[in-house]
Amino acid sequence: MFRFFRRGRLDAERAREMQAHLDHYIDDLIAGGYTRERAVREARRRFGNPSAIREEIYEMNSLPVLEVLWRDLRYGFRMLRKTPGFTAIALITLAVGSGVNTAVFTVVNGLLLKSLPYPEAHRLATVNTLIKSPTRGQNDNTAVDGNIFLAIHDNATTVDSAIAAGSFGGAVNLVAGGVAASVRQQRVSAGYLSILGVPPLIGRDFQADEDRGGGPPAAILSYELWRRTFASDPNIMGRTITLRGEPYTVVGVMPRGFSTGANADLWTPARPSRTGEGGGTNYHMVVRIRPGFTWQQADAEVAQLGSPAALAMFSDPGDRTAWSRLVPLQQDATAEIRQPLLMLWGAVGLVLLTACVNLAGLLLARSATRAREIATRMALGSGRAAVVRQLLVETGVLALAGGALGIGVGWAVLEALKTLSTNVYSVGYPVELDSRVLAVTLLIALVTAVVFGLVPALQASRVNVQGALAEGGTRGVSTATARWPRRLLVVGEIAMTVVLLVSAGLLVRTFVHLRSLNPGFDPSNVITATISLQDKRYEDPARIVRLFEDSLAEIRRQPGVEAAGVTLGLPYTRLLNMGFGRVEGRTEENKAAGTNVSYVTPGYFEALRLPIVKGRGITDADQSAAQPIAVVNERFAEKFYPGANVVGLHINVAQRRGDGPRLIVGVVGNARATSSGLGGDDSPLPEPFVVYVPATQTSAGFFNLVHTWFSPAWVVRTSAPLSGASESIRQSLARVDPLLPIAKMESMATVQGDALSQQRFMMTLVVGLGALALLLAAIGIHGLIASTVSERTRELGIRLALGATGTRVMREVLLSGMALATVGLVIGSIAALIAVRLLQSFLWGVTTTDPITFAGVVITLLLVAFLASVIPAWRVLRLDPALTLRAE
Amino acid sequence: MTLLQGTLDMLVLQTLRLGPAHGYTIARVIEQRSDAFLQVEQGSLYPALNRLEDRGWVDSYWATSENNRRARYYRLTPKGRRQLERESEQWTQLVRAIGLVMRPIED
Repeated sequence: MFRFFRRGRLDAERAREMQAHLDHYIDDLIAGGYTRERAVREARRRFGNPSAIREEIYEMNSLPVLEVLWRDLRYGFRMLRKTPGFTAIALITLAVGSGVNTAVFTVVNGLLLKSLPYPEAHRLATVNTLIKSPTRGQNDNTAVDGNIFLAIHDNATTVDSAIAAGSFGGAVNLVAGGVAASVRQQRVSAGYLSILGVPPLIGRDFQADEDRGGGPPAAILSYELWRRTFASDPNIMGRTITLRGEPYTVVGVMPRGFSTGANADLWTPARPSRTGEGGGTNYHMVVRIRPGFTWQQADAEVAQLGSPAALAMFSDPGDRTAWSRLVPLQQDATAEIRQPLLMLWGAVGLVLLTACVNLAGLLLARSATRAREIATRMALGSGRAAVVRQLLVETGVLALAGGALGIGVGWAVLEALKTLSTNVYSVGYPVELDSRVLAVTLLIALVTAVVFGLVPALQASRVNVQGALAEGGTRGVSTATARWPRRLLVVGEIAMTVVLLVSAGLLVRTFVHLRSLNPGFDPSNVITATISLQDKRYEDPARIVRLFEDSLAEIRRQPGVEAAGVTLGLPYTRLLNMGFGRVEGRTEENKAAGTNVSYVTPGYFEALRLPIVKGRGITDADQSAAQPIAVVNERFAEKFYPGANVVGLHINVAQRRGDGPRLIVGVVGNARATSSGLGGDDSPLPEPFVVYVPATQTSAGFFNLVHTWFSPAWVVRTSAPLSGASESIRQSLARVDPLLPIAKMESMATVQGDALSQQRFMMTLVVGLGALALLLAAIGIHGLIASTVSERTRELGIRLALGATGTRVMREVLLSGMALATVGLVIGSIAALIAVRLLQSFLWGVTTTDPITFAGVVITLLLVAFLASVIPAWRVLRLDPALTLRAE
Repeated sequence: MTLLQGTLDMLVLQTLRLGPAHGYTIARVIEQRSDAFLQVEQGSLYPALNRLEDRGWVDSYWATSENNRRARYYRLTPKGRRQLERESEQWTQLVRAIGLVMRPIED
């Protein structure tokens, strides 16, 4: 083995040794009476051929496989260098195909395949409760109420459990060192962090006394917040910060990169209870199965403890049954993105397949043009295996280089994906390239090369040596059969492109449809500022109302402001669900119903230009002590009082103790919102039914409860430029309360756009992938036609010489390309009709058989196929018959 | 006269039992000891020497020969000596067995 590496030096030594042998022999022969000349000849004769012997020894000292591989590699590199066009296109194809796949696989790997970043993550779970009723249908609840949680937490022997509360609208106000900031808070119960298994970097987890109502307020900071806001102060433990207007003591800092899955800057105790927040399903559980117990044991105990508690949510369970069960935490954490991600992966797989097909086509074409070279090699005694091996090594070189480029492309695409998906999917786990992903990319590239390189290699090695040499490779009428595999590949490629483009088209149509939906109000020239009022200083309704009035008065004084108001629920966001009761027409069946509820101030409807259809809006006259009123929207009126005049009727909703029912004083137009699961179709942008109540006429309990989940928004219509207006609104608010940070300040148009960010994300990706596939298909068609023309140069030349017109010959070549495109289109359209059923849940306002989409795809593809065919076909016109016939 | 496969190795090892020698000497010794019956193609010695050295049965060094030339000397290693013993024993048995088969047949 070691001789393998030293064999160059050994060979020189061997040569010297053999020369010494000859010299000795010659000495002896001369001594025996030979002349020098005869002696030399005789010695050489008896010795044999020194070069052949050296070669024999050299071979003995070499490892044949490596040797041959090295030779093939060098040859492969040489061949690839000789055809830079082919090499470049093949490399780009591979790099794009494997690169896009790398990026998406990284995300799939990071979120769906890799376990969550906690120790023994497979023993972590959440609790879901399935409520089933033969008459009312079923509902799988991913959240639990205080009753279910405490029943499990206090009694279970197989699991440790904790909860996180208030999973949306988590922005709160932090004041530290006189500076106010809006930070994202997650409220977790004691033991939450320990259950995840990640100890704090410094300090400790929450203790039981901190997790009880009235206990000492404590906070745990994320590493990033600690570094950013507290300059990594090592003495942070025990320091007091003002959070939500209250003093909190810092008891811990979590390690860098730690995430509970929510994007939180800090954690405070959730203080779970059976009432208030805990009276509804507002907790999200995390459980860790204790050592020594199996998943089945834990699941059985959770069902036994949780199910009865879940049924107790209903005063009269009737025919309902409840089943609490464990769901793996990972599955739960990725539920939202699993489907889009897998869809995306499928689409990317198609692109990769298209790339592979292209590569196979390129290799086929290449082996066809190299038929003569291969025939020469086989005529000179190269075995078929050697030819196949050589072609495979060449492909392998291509694949590895393409794969390496693909990793680069993948990294870039991944960064782009991350930017694009910011604020789209709330999955707070890091996604990074890792060795598994890189291995997969290289594997994909290699398998691609071997599989798609094998067919052309085998085909090439079947070359009829005599025929190929005699024919001269590029002469004569090339046989049609040789092009069939390539044609099939191009047809397949076009078909896959059709599937992708149809998907992209449907998503675009969905997006356009959703964008064009009438908002119900005028979103232009409106600025919104969201502020968290989950703040100790704003627990008193009078205080809250004064904040609204003072700040609105200040804002209305700013130049250009036309109207301003405050609302709990902006359009194009998720609204608050609440139960309500009707006073008139109340029956057993309709006595309990749910609606979306929002409190608003005077000026809100005007700021949005939400039309008042009947009666009146909310005015300054609707003071706290005045008659409690409500304004409903048209959908509410249609839904609950069809055909009736609702103005003058009464409802009970968000009542203060001691107040009578609310008088409905007006009906306003509908405004779009994102789905709250209530009061709309399943569309991403329904027009839900809403009850608006005056902010002045709600209770402290209501304010404090809803402010833990929702942050009110100031809505300002202005004729001034929005950027300047934003600044003056910011200053107005700061003048009223300098310690109240603005969580988010956006134009209404941005809010509207953000509501469709998931749709935009999916659309952008699939359109991008479709464009890539289209490009690859174009390259495929172009390559096929180009090689057809070059293979048939002589034949075409003869026909031109015999009087065929250039245009006619060109048309014929062109038609062969278009015929393939048509076949691909038909197959692809059929495949698309089946495949897009998977897209169903992403589509709105468009059917899966949308004729406009299909027509658009067909026209686009025909156009691209035409362009891709016409460019190489053009060469026919430039053929000089005389020159063609003389060539070779 | 062609040699039986593998016998050249044995002959080389046997030659080296007389002491270290360079390639030419080894060739001469084989010729002489076989009464000039075994005329090896001298070059074919070298692949054999390469193989023997690779297996650790001989090792080599450069020295000045009796003709005052630089030559590469080979010498038997202990491992090579054991190998030679095995091979010559097998050879004796083989020759005896062939001799038995080939003895004149008596009617």
